[in-house]
Amino acid sequence: MRIRLPGLYIVLALVLAGLIHIIAVLALPELAPKSGYGRLASLGPANTMIQVPSAAPGQQVIPMMGPDVRYAFCRFDLTGGPVRLNAKVANELLLIALYTPEGQNFYSVVAPDMKRPEIDLIIITGDQSVAEAGVDAPESFENVGVVNSPVTDGIALLRMPLTGPSRASNVEQALSAASCGRYKGSG
Amino acid sequence: MRSLVYFVGAFVAALIIGIGSAWYMIDRGSPLTTTKAGPWEGWIGEGNPDADHYTRAHVARSGRLPLTSTVARYFIARRDSAGAALSSNCEYVIVGAPLNARWWSIALYDQYGGLIANRSSRYSFNSEELLRHSDGSFRINLSRHARPENWLPAGAADQRLVVMLRVYSPRDTDVSGIGLVPDQQLPTIERKTCE
Repeated sequence: MRIRLPGLYIVLALVLAGLIHIIAVLALPELAPKSGYGRLASLGPANTMIQVPSAAPGQQVIPMMGPDVRYAFCRFDLTGGPVRLNAKVANELLLIALYTPEGQNFYSVVAPDMKRPEIDLIIITGDQSVAEAGVDAPESFENVGVVNSPVTDGIALLRMPLTGPSRASNVEQALSAASCGRYKGSG
Repeated sequence: MRSLVYFVGAFVAALIIGIGSAWYMIDRGSPLTTTKAGPWEGWIGEGNPDADHYTRAHVARSGRLPLTSTVARYFIARRDSAGAALSSNCEYVIVGAPLNARWWSIALYDQYGGLIANRSSRYSFNSEELLRHSDGSFRINLSRHARPENWLPAGAADQRLVVMLRVYSPRDTDVSGIGLVPDQQLPTIERKTCE
């Protein structure tokens, strides 16, 4: 009896430890105090392109931001309808990535791969078809990408890496020309 | 009385083991979620919508918004190639060859992911600005004190350091489109001297 009883408690402790481990892992994404989404969302309103201040010591919106990357983002809110994102592709590298609030990168595009002077994305909710979303195919439809978002609220993050110290102003200019707003149809 | 002590003891042990193991697997990773090559660690599933729960928790806790591995790869070094923790009390040389990608960069942070203040406002070297040898290889001197060639200033003494290699749009991909950066092409981090 004396030998068996502690053994029972050891088994109990291990089972309980396993449960606590699983709960901690599953709960953490919800409980994380400052997710990347939360950090960016606090910078401004939804459906607007916002430039992220370039990283400097003590002034980083996101930990481990690239010091040689410039960022802009748009928090998209699809409750009022589709959102349109537009960016001019200069000769620089541009990466566009769409995220859920949990930080899942559900869509991404390397702009130079598209071989177009301009990237136009229309973000609609996952359960809508293009027609249901009220996106009537414009004449230049092949230049427009429609993205089904699994969330009604998320973030589109634009990254432009610097190709040298003197290129910062070019890149910042290109990023500030990007826009984001409610889709109003091709008119 | 004895069984109550056992019960409380079992409960406390369960809390410590459960939370401790969860913390370790989320913060440091495990063979399930992370790849290791020399001093570099990478979370292969980070940013991926189909990622496992450890990776999701890791990303949420980090506060980062990483790109999926089809578009970019991230490698983090907290240790040198010999396995010793990176410290600003030591001098290191990062040696490597060009990577097959559209753009890549090696940046230095403190242990909390913050940039390290320095007079020359130098926080990273990227593929476009590195000084290279005629064969394309490069050396980055990581030191508190000014060094020739590519100098990455390590700031104040007694700090833990973290080096991040970000590779945007790798040109080689595997069948599922994941960007490939072969282990042997990753730079090495050699410690030279310590104060």
